[in-house]
Amino acid sequence: MARELTMPKLSDSMADAVITRWLKGPGEAFARGDALIEVETDKATVVYEAEWEGTLGAILVPEGGTAGVGEAIATVSNGDGEATPPRVVIPEAAPAVASDDGGGLPDRAPPGSRANASPVARRVAVELGVSLHGIAGTGPGGRVTVEDVRAAADSGAPALERQDAAGKGEVTARALTPTETTIARRMTESATTTPVLTAAADVDVSLIATLRRGAREAGEVTPSLNDFVVKAAALALREQPRLNSSYADGRIETYSRVNVGIAVATEDDTLLVPVVHDADRKTLAELAADTRRLANAARRRTLTPEQLHHATFTVSNLGMFGVRSFTAIVDPPQAAILAVGGVRREAFEDGPDRVGFRDVITMTLTCDHRVVYGAHAARFLSRLRELLERPLALTL
Amino acid sequence: MSNVSETPATGVLEDLGLYTGIYRQMLLIRGFEDLVQSLFLAGEVYGTTHLYSGQEAIATGVASLLEDRDRVAATYRGHGHALAVGVDPQALLDEMLGRGTGINGGRAGSMNVNSPRDRLIGSFGIVGGSIAAATGAALALRKTTGGVAVAYFGDGAMNQGYVFECLNFCQVLGLPLVLVCENNGYGEYTAFRSVTAGELTDRAKVMGVPTETIDGMSVWTVRDAARRAIDHARSGKGPAFLEALTYRFVGHSRSDPGAYRPDGELDSWRERDPITVLAAQLAAAGVDEARLEETRREVADELEHMRAQGLAAPWPTALAAHEFKD
Amino acid sequence: MTTTFRTAIRDALDEALADDERVILFGEDVAVAGGVFATTTGLYDKYGPERVFDTPISELALTGAAFGSAVTGLRPVIEIMFGDFLTLAMDSLVNQSTKYWFLTQEEQSVPLTIRSVVGAGGRFGAIHSQMPVSWFMGVPGIKIVCPSTPADAKGLLKASIRDDNPVLFFEHKRLYTLEGDVNGATAELGKARVAREGGDVTIVTAMKGVHDSLEAADALERDGISAEVIDLRTLRPLDADTVVASVQKTNRIAVVEEGPQTGGWAGEVLATVTEQALGHLDDAWRIATPDTPIPYSPPLEDAFLPGPDRIATEIRQRLRRT
Repeated sequence: MARELTMPKLSDSMADAVITRWLKGPGEAFARGDALIEVETDKATVVYEAEWEGTLGAILVPEGGTAGVGEAIATVSNGDGEATPPRVVIPEAAPAVASDDGGGLPDRAPPGSRANASPVARRVAVELGVSLHGIAGTGPGGRVTVEDVRAAADSGAPALERQDAAGKGEVTARALTPTETTIARRMTESATTTPVLTAAADVDVSLIATLRRGAREAGEVTPSLNDFVVKAAALALREQPRLNSSYADGRIETYSRVNVGIAVATEDDTLLVPVVHDADRKTLAELAADTRRLANAARRRTLTPEQLHHATFTVSNLGMFGVRSFTAIVDPPQAAILAVGGVRREAFEDGPDRVGFRDVITMTLTCDHRVVYGAHAARFLSRLRELLERPLALTL
Repeated sequence: MSNVSETPATGVLEDLGLYTGIYRQMLLIRGFEDLVQSLFLAGEVYGTTHLYSGQEAIATGVASLLEDRDRVAATYRGHGHALAVGVDPQALLDEMLGRGTGINGGRAGSMNVNSPRDRLIGSFGIVGGSIAAATGAALALRKTTGGVAVAYFGDGAMNQGYVFECLNFCQVLGLPLVLVCENNGYGEYTAFRSVTAGELTDRAKVMGVPTETIDGMSVWTVRDAARRAIDHARSGKGPAFLEALTYRFVGHSRSDPGAYRPDGELDSWRERDPITVLAAQLAAAGVDEARLEETRREVADELEHMRAQGLAAPWPTALAAHEFKD
Repeated sequence: MTTTFRTAIRDALDEALADDERVILFGEDVAVAGGVFATTTGLYDKYGPERVFDTPISELALTGAAFGSAVTGLRPVIEIMFGDFLTLAMDSLVNQSTKYWFLTQEEQSVPLTIRSVVGAGGRFGAIHSQMPVSWFMGVPGIKIVCPSTPADAKGLLKASIRDDNPVLFFEHKRLYTLEGDVNGATAELGKARVAREGGDVTIVTAMKGVHDSLEAADALERDGISAEVIDLRTLRPLDADTVVASVQKTNRIAVVEEGPQTGGWAGEVLATVTEQALGHLDDAWRIATPDTPIPYSPPLEDAFLPGPDRIATEIRQRLRRT
C-alpha cells in the first residue's frame, strides 16, 4: 500500500515550509525516528524524524520546494514498490491542518496582530509560500491584495541578482531565507505594533566572577555569567508574573511556566532563540548544561521544534563582543527582553578616601508597555540586581 | 336587529330532500367546530382558529345554489364555507391537526385552507382579502365558464378599502361577483355599530349594485335571496350584495371568551339558532322527528370517527417545498 | 431590427396577447389611452375590451383581480403605473399571490405579471421615482425582472408572461427611449449577462445601472483598469453563478444599485458572493443611493444617483489608482 508523507506542522505558527534537504532517497527504507527531511520553517531549520516506518517512494516536493502543512511531500510504500508519480499539489483553499484563525486561512501573525490582507491574498499567499507580513498593501486601508502577494512572490525569487546602483557601486541582492524573513517580519511587527519602555540598571557581578573563578580552579563545569543572569531572571519572573505575560487582544495572558529564550548567533550568521523550559525550577548546573547543549545545536542548526517553542521571556547577551549596553527588540508576543552587556571593571568609592574596583554589567530591559509599566520594570531590575549581587542563592 | 323576524321564516320548503341534506350539513359544520374547539383545548389544534358556529345557514344556503363552474373565496372563519362546498371533512380536520393527510398537507392550517377542486379558491387571513380574490375569479369566470364568484366576508371587512374598490371595479366591468357580508355584529372584539357609519348596504347601493339585508339564521331566507343575487351576477349585470344578519355563538377566536357581549345577547340569538330554525321548519313540513334524530346521531358518529382517525393520522414529513413552478 | 425599449415592451405584450388567448392586459390608462408611458399603444384596438381594458385607480382591486383571475384560468398582465404605488398592491401580491403555490401543495400556481415603471432621474420626486426591488427581495415565491436593453425588455417580458409564477417586471423610466437591436430576443428568467468583459473588477448591476457602469468601464479603461460589467437582468432569483465566476477572475466586486444602500439587493449580492467565494475576494462594496428619499431638484437628484462618474471614481479609489 502506498501512502503519503505530508508536511508536518513543526512550529505553532507554521503554515508552510521549505524542504532544504531530503535525508533519505527514493527507495530507501526508514525506521521510526530516522531523520527524513531538513525543513526550514518560519522559525528555524529543523530535522523531521519519521513517525512511522516505511520505504520512501517518489519525492513530490524536491529540495528547495515549499509545501503547506498537511500537503503531500512524498509517497511512501510499505515494500510493494508501488508509488504514485510526482505531482504538484496546490491546495484549493486552506491546508488541511491550518492555524486556528477561524477561517482555516493562513495567518502567520501571532494573536492580536493579524495581517490586513484580503481573503484571496491570504489564500494565494499560502499557494505561493509568501508571508503576508512585510508586504505593503495597496488595497483600501492598506489591505494586502492578491496582486501585492504576487508581486512579493515575484520579487522574492531566490536567485541572486546584480544591479548597478549609481553611487553605491555594485549591489549584490539576494532574497531573505525563510528564517531571515521571519526575523524581519517579527521585528517589524514588534517595532511597529508594540509600544516599548526601556529601563537599564548596572549590576555588580564581582561576587559571581569570584565564584566562577573558584569553580574553574576546582575543575568543575562552570556556569557562564549568562547562566547566572538567566537563572536570576527566571526566579524574578516567577516572583513577578507580570513580566511572564503577553498582551493579546485586550487581554493580558499570564503563563504558569517560566521559559527563557536565549538569543544565539548561528554559524551561518543568523539568529535563533532556543528555549530553556522551566528555567525557574532548574538548578544552576542543570541550566548551564541545557544552555550549552542548546547553543551548540543552534549553531549547527539542529534544534528540534520543541527546543524553539514557548519562550515567555528572552535574554540576549552581546557582552562577549565588548558591547557595554544595548537595547533589544521585544519578540512578540513576549512582554519583555533583557539585553546584557559586557563586564567592565569600574572604580568606586569604597569608604572614605578609598577607591575600590568591581565588575559591573549593564542590563537593559525592554518591555511591552501594554503589559509592563515603568514600576514593574524597575521592580524587576531591582530584584534581578539583588539576586545577582548575592549569587549564593542562585547556586543552591 | 332589523330583518330578523321574531318567528322563523316560513317559506315553503320546496324540496324536503334538499333541506334535509342542508340540515345534515349544518349539523356537520356545528359538530366540526365543536370538535375543533375540543381538540384545540386538548392541545391538538395549534395557533388560533375562528369558528363558524351560529352562521351555518349562510354558507350552506349559498353553496346549495352554486354550480360546478362557480368559485368561492372564504374568510379565515372559513371551516363552514369549506365544508359547505364539499371539502372532505376528514381532510379539513386533519389540516387543523397539522397532519400530512390534511387538505393542504399541513402547510395551511385553519386560516389558509384552499381546495380549488372543490371550487374553494381559498380562505383569506387578511380581512377583505376574499373580496379581491373573488373579484379576479369573477373576471376570469366571465371569460371562461360563465360562472359566478362568491366572496364571503364579515362586517369588519366593510371598512376595508377592498370593499369599495372591488365593488366599483366589478360594477364598472360588469363582473359576476356575489358579495356575501356575514354581519355577526362584531369585528373581532368590537361591536360593529361602534366602528361603522351608516348602513352597510348603502355602500353598495350608491354604486347601483343591488342589495338585500336578510335573516342569516334562516337557510330558507338565505337561499331565497342568494338565488336572486346569483341570477343577477350570472346574467352579466354585474355584482350583487347580500348582508346576512347572523351571530357567532363563540368568541372571535379561540382565545376570546366574548366577554364584551351584553348579557342575554347570546341567549336571545341562540333561540334563533339556524339549526333549530330549520329543524322546526322541517318538522312543520312533516319530516319525522325520528328521522332528524337519526341524522343527528349519524353526524355525531361520523365526527367521533373523524376525531379518532385524525389523531391517528401521520405527521407531514420534511417540508420539501419548491419556491417556483418550473 | 432596431427599436426602442418602449416599443420592445409594446411588441412583447402584443406577441404575448397573440400567442395565448388566456393573456389579458389591464390597468390604469392602458387601453383607450395606450398607457401613460405609451407602452400599450394600439393593443386595445387590436384585442378589444375583453382582453385589454382600463380599470379604476384602484390598486387593491386591480392586483386582487390579477391574483383571482390567475388562479381561475387566466394569465393576467397588469400595469401598476408607478412602482411607488406597489405599496397599495402589497396584500394581494405578498399575502395571496406568492403564498398560493405553497398553500395548494404546489398544485395551483399563480401566472401573473405586474409591469411597473420605476427609477429616478426623471424629476418625478420622492414618490414617483423609487426603486421597489428591495421591498420584495425577502418575499419567497416572486420573481423580479429588471431589464436594461430593448432586447431584454422584449425577451424577458414575454418570458415573464409565459412563466407560471408571479413576476414583477420593472421598467426603468429613463430607458424607454433607448434604442437597440431586438432580433431573435429570447431570454430566460434568472440568467445574468456579462455585458462587458474585464479582469480587474466586477461591476454587478441592473437596469439603468448597466449603462452607467458601461460608461464608467470605458472611462476606467483609459486609466488602465479593466472592468467587467454584469447585467443581472433578474434580481430574484439571483444568478449567483455568473457573479461568482466573474469574481473568481477579478477578485473585486462593486455592486451598483439604484436604491437605498441599507437593506438593498446589493447587500444580498455581496452576501451571496461572500458565502460562495470568500477566498477569491480582494474587495467588495456597494455603490448605492443615500438612505434618504429622492430629491426633486435636478442638481440634487443627479448627485443622489450613482452615475458613471461616481462609479469610476470609487473604483479608482478602491484600486488605489487615483
